[in-house]
Amino acid sequence: MALPANSSRFRIGVDLVGVDRVARLVTDHEGALDELFTEREQAHWRRKRQRFQHLAGRFAAKEAVLKAFGTGLRQRMRWTDVEIISGAGGRPEVLLHGEVAEQARRRGLEDLDLSISHAEGLAMAQALAIWAPER
Amino acid sequence: MATTEIQSAVQEAVVGALGVGEDEATPDATLMDDLGAESIDLLDILFRIERSTGVKIQASDLGEYIQGGIPDDQFGDENGIVSEQGLEQLKKVMPQIDPDELRGKLEAEKVITLFTVGNLADMVAARSGGASG
Repeated sequence: MALPANSSRFRIGVDLVGVDRVARLVTDHEGALDELFTEREQAHWRRKRQRFQHLAGRFAAKEAVLKAFGTGLRQRMRWTDVEIISGAGGRPEVLLHGEVAEQARRRGLEDLDLSISHAEGLAMAQALAIWAPER
Repeated sequence: MATTEIQSAVQEAVVGALGVGEDEATPDATLMDDLGAESIDLLDILFRIERSTGVKIQASDLGEYIQGGIPDDQFGDENGIVSEQGLEQLKKVMPQIDPDELRGKLEAEKVITLFTVGNLADMVAARSGGASG
């Protein structure tokens, strides 16, 4: 079965980050939490036992989503435009806001899936974005 | 704040965040390709600069500064390659680049990889109201 080498309809994004690295960032810099995480994400984080592991997973998830968009953090986009919430059964779900939501609408985002994992002081996330076929 | 003070503050922030030597964090070193910074490191660098200079720059401001407010669909073509207008803008904020070399092949999402320690110092100087260069 022949598969296309590259399809613009499907794009994955992966990110891997050290839990300590994220912990150091938010501990050292007072404004980091607010720049990176929405109020809802922060409230959820405060209830967690493995706080920094959870936070690192959420950070990796935001990065993975932006990579699946193929843009990284472009002008007017904010980290809080990508909000990660816990859906049914604890599965992470993505809510898009602001410029990222606008990009998704403009470019025809059809679906977005996300998975997060942690091990050995690392957090990893993978996102899959499915875009409308080009006309 | 004098330009030399800003340059020192930026270099100190880069050294502190990335754990590289001062001899590596030179003005012409690119933050991502040469010094290995990832997006979380860029955040760390920006917070350190804010602490030492008082100049607040958010990660998203970097994109705004580099792209100069040019809409995405004008900055890059339909294949995501930086347009002529985009290259002109990049030459203003990253004077070290050679547009002739990059024309037709620079992907818009890779632009940030060309951003140097010196470019960041210029941005901080511009934001602080001081002279750049």
